[in-house]
Amino acid sequence: MSAAFSHGAYDMTSFKQLEGLCERLYWLIRLRWIAAASVFLTVLLTGHIFKFSLPAFDLYAASTALGVYNLAFFVLLKSIKGKESFVIVNRIANSQISLDLLSLAVLIHFSGGIENPFLFYFIFHMIIASILLSKRASFLQATFAVLLFSIMVSLEYFAVLPHYCLKKFIIHDQQHNLTYISGVSFVFISTLYIAVYMATSISGRLKQREKVLGEANLELEEKDRIKSEYVLRVTHGIKEHLSAIQGCLEPVSGGITGELNAKQFDLVQRAVRRTAKLMSFVKALLQITRIKLSKEMKMEYFSLRYSCLEAINDTSAKAKAKFISVNFTMEPGIGPIRAAREYIQETLTDLLVNSIKYTPPRGKIDVGLRNRGSVILIEIADTGIGIPKNELPRIFEEFYRASNAQVAERDGTGLGLSIAKRVVEMHSGRIWIESEEGKGTKLNIELPK
Amino acid sequence: MFCSATLGTFLEWSNERYPEKDERRSRLVSANAKILIVDDDPDIVESMKVILESKNYQVSVAKTGEEGLRKVRGEAPDLVILDVMLETGDKGFDVAREIKWDPQYKHLPILMLTAIKEKTGLDFMKEAGDEQWLPVDDYCDKPLHPGELVSKVEALLNKR
Repeated sequence: MSAAFSHGAYDMTSFKQLEGLCERLYWLIRLRWIAAASVFLTVLLTGHIFKFSLPAFDLYAASTALGVYNLAFFVLLKSIKGKESFVIVNRIANSQISLDLLSLAVLIHFSGGIENPFLFYFIFHMIIASILLSKRASFLQATFAVLLFSIMVSLEYFAVLPHYCLKKFIIHDQQHNLTYISGVSFVFISTLYIAVYMATSISGRLKQREKVLGEANLELEEKDRIKSEYVLRVTHGIKEHLSAIQGCLEPVSGGITGELNAKQFDLVQRAVRRTAKLMSFVKALLQITRIKLSKEMKMEYFSLRYSCLEAINDTSAKAKAKFISVNFTMEPGIGPIRAAREYIQETLTDLLVNSIKYTPPRGKIDVGLRNRGSVILIEIADTGIGIPKNELPRIFEEFYRASNAQVAERDGTGLGLSIAKRVVEMHSGRIWIESEEGKGTKLNIELPK
Repeated sequence: MFCSATLGTFLEWSNERYPEKDERRSRLVSANAKILIVDDDPDIVESMKVILESKNYQVSVAKTGEEGLRKVRGEAPDLVILDVMLETGDKGFDVAREIKWDPQYKHLPILMLTAIKEKTGLDFMKEAGDEQWLPVDDYCDKPLHPGELVSKVEALLNKR
């Protein structure tokens, strides 16, 4: 599956088609379990309660066969996972439907043949075939169904096979009634073909649409990538000049080039501060753009506990300056995690800086690692200004800053949480925020172990 | 609602720049040491020059990798400050290797300047001193801060 990702647009759409087909085959397998069980139960009920004179043994055998080949297909599909090709999966789909038709024919033969109105259950198979298979294959399957039907009816008509009557349910002993046979056959056969025609037309149109949408989506992804590369180049250019400006301002504001008078010092300080803010914005923009463009991250095993402590240590000066106490707790059973260490480390540090920034002096921040089975939950809870409820849904948007955050702190890029979200999602994790305005914010990150 | 660590760190730096008490010691250790700056950005070069000259270092400048190598051989500097991006994006790496693979300059300390470290996962420290990959003694992330530049230069000169 992963190999299919790296090829071009064509392969991507066919990969998605293949994925869709596999999904539907699993759905068909689930349906077949229900069918096998239903047949089994129906035979049991009709045989014992209503005392129908049906060949119970043969019907049980047929439903068991249904279950057995269903299991076989299930195992087969699981075993080719990862190396499936469209041709193979398509062949599996075709043989499943042919076998289904055969089983249905056998079941019908043992429960009344031409008299059995369940005959029309063949239509379901036609619809399933039209969804799963190509138009041509669907019509071939319909023809196979007609063939099975004709063989059954003829063999019963010429008494080569015994005829089992469905007494107490419907008229019986019609296996030699030519008028009945030709009438039912006409309606049955035409119904099958019409059903296939209608269902394949609809599903064909849907498949076409799906393909167009898939291609459009790929095109959008490609355009987004080009846009990101453009942003990266522009931001890099800005940063280069900004570096030089900062470099030149520094010695002046630091007094290396001689003492400044109060007014000069003040103005240079303002310039220094503004360039520093612009630089932090440019850096955040570079960071998120890089993450968007990076296809894979360097994964390694490391201790999340250590990363948390490191983040707390890195931000301790800021916390101390505001008399904020930062506590760390950890549940037992949390071993090393496989992730992109540097990204996680920076994300934790940035989030902690964020919490400190929006927590009033003498507040409290609790950092916790929780063991939640297959995932580790990282919690950062502060007693800060919180986020207004109606703004919570937008808080992870790029450049979005909550209204109260803008009042509390004029500066901020509005990129920090989007960066965190990107990093967490690249690890197939989840990030969400619980917050009450004025009380505090709890940030949750779930990472797979 | 987010601010990267840069602003805070920067403000901390501005408070503890150029500690006066180290002045005499550094002058003793590295008085008149010759420093070669290899960087193609004239403004960055000028700002570094001002800072380093204020600490009584002799500074000479090269704009390209080739010129840098020539001046290493011709002027025998005590330390080289080398930018990664010169004529090409990673020309600085080649220059560093060429200097360190020459037995005569094996012990010449190199301080590498880079702007490419931002969260790319590229950890320069790991490679610093690894002669096969990137034979430099330390690196400085751009944008430069005077305090950091001076303390790294002093540390490298003292280590000699």
